[in-house]
Amino acid sequence: MMSELSKMKFYCDTNRCIECFACSVACAEAHDLPTGISRRKVITLFNGVEGKEISTSIACMHCTDAPCEQVCPVDCFYIREDGIVLHDKNRCIGCGYCLYACPFGAPQFPRDGAFGAKGAMDKCTMCAGGPLETNSVHERELYGQNRIAEGKVPMCASICSTNALLVGDAESVSAIYRKRVVGRGRGA
Amino acid sequence: MRKYVTMIIAALSLASVAFATESQIWGEMRIQNILGYDKEGSTHLGPLFTMLQHQYFAWIFLGVLIGVPLAFFIHYKIIGPKVFPHSAKKYYAFNLYNRIIHQVAAVSFLVIVPTGFIIVFGDFFGGGTLVRMAKNLHGIFTIPFTIVVIPMALMWLKEALFNLDDIKWFMILGGYLSKEKKPILAGKFNAGQKMWYWVAILGGITMILSGAIMFFLDFKMQMLHDLTGLSQIDLLRAAAIIHNVMGFAVVALFITHVYMSMFAIKGAVQSIITGYVEEEVKILHSTWYKKLKDQGKF
Ligand code: SF4
Ligand code: SF4
Repeated sequence: MMSELSKMKFYCDTNRCIECFACSVACAEAHDLPTGISRRKVITLFNGVEGKEISTSIACMHCTDAPCEQVCPVDCFYIREDGIVLHDKNRCIGCGYCLYACPFGAPQFPRDGAFGAKGAMDKCTMCAGGPLETNSVHERELYGQNRIAEGKVPMCASICSTNALLVGDAESVSAIYRKRVVGRGRGA
Repeated sequence: MRKYVTMIIAALSLASVAFATESQIWGEMRIQNILGYDKEGSTHLGPLFTMLQHQYFAWIFLGVLIGVPLAFFIHYKIIGPKVFPHSAKKYYAFNLYNRIIHQVAAVSFLVIVPTGFIIVFGDFFGGGTLVRMAKNLHGIFTIPFTIVVIPMALMWLKEALFNLDDIKWFMILGGYLSKEKKPILAGKFNAGQKMWYWVAILGGITMILSGAIMFFLDFKMQMLHDLTGLSQIDLLRAAAIIHNVMGFAVVALFITHVYMSMFAIKGAVQSIITGYVEEEVKILHSTWYKKLKDQGKF
């Protein structure tokens, strides 16, 4: 079994994020997301208030003991060895329970059908696709690119110009962050 | 009836306006929601819902689904059904309007309850198309129920108010624990039926509202926010909890209602189909029978 430290995690360094929206746009483009769905979102608080303004980029955090996985009535989540939390869109019924359980507001729902019912849930896959055959057309259509399978870094982190958005196993991410905190002497 | 249709259309068009505004879940509120999750002084509704849905809801539903019919099965075996002879004397108790309203609600429930169970045990059914269809039917058949629930509440309100007869009825559990046919104090509706009335009406309305909150998801309801002090995501969590818990009661009493009318009292279901009640009211609704007799209606 892998240790907790070797689980894949995201981290957004709010001291570096400059609210350029590159991660969010790159994600939407890379995965051909429908309008209205943004797996990754940049949010700025205290807009224009000097010294207080702060921006951060949020997506699914691929939680340990993921609450979404615990509440899904059709059990469509699965958690990979490396900690990436994925789900099966063909199984999902769009009930919304995962959103209620999620601490980060990650799950989103496209509206489908004439009655405007919620369609299959969509969320960040950490660019690791879904349960369908890796790098198949079907996988790409439903879940977007599978960059992890190709040995690439997730789109959002790879495009981040200030390297605010970090992704990797928990140990490496916190090592980088520690070094930064020591370097700038603040921001712990 | 026209009024309700207009109301529903108005609500739907309002909903689409609200969708266009800033999202209550994925907009700026999201940061507050994240920071507040399970923090001291917060509502803790997120973790509470997660715990209940993860560990309890499906099991309780399973308990109700097996336990209630099992209890009635034992009742049927030991005490058996009450059979009354068909008599020539009949009283027209439910007019066409009553029956249509009741039948619309009945058909709605016959779809809503089983599809609800398919969703709860969606895992067992493997998710996907079947369960998704159940979810859609669960929502669609809420519409006819929503249309008839207020008329139904009004048409039977007077008969559903509790009175002294009901205490005595509860003390002997309506006589259902004995085979004897002694007259039982009850008006047009006995205490059990009244209980079902209130659970079906008030519980039903609660189910409609909590279900609608979950269906419309991001539809901002300022009034509800002001009233409860809850954010949109917490409202959704509360709605999901209430919908499940109220579901236990509605389902348990629905099964009871079906058992009573179809099995426990042979032929009772005919009265809501034809509108005529027979001699059995002399025993089962003796107060009502006396009144009807005094008025010369029986
Ligand atoms: S969807 Fe939410 S609960 Fe599930 S892993 Fe992602 S952040 Fe965690
Ligand atoms: S919306 Fe889909 S993934 Fe989320 S809990 Fe419901 S069925 Fe599971």
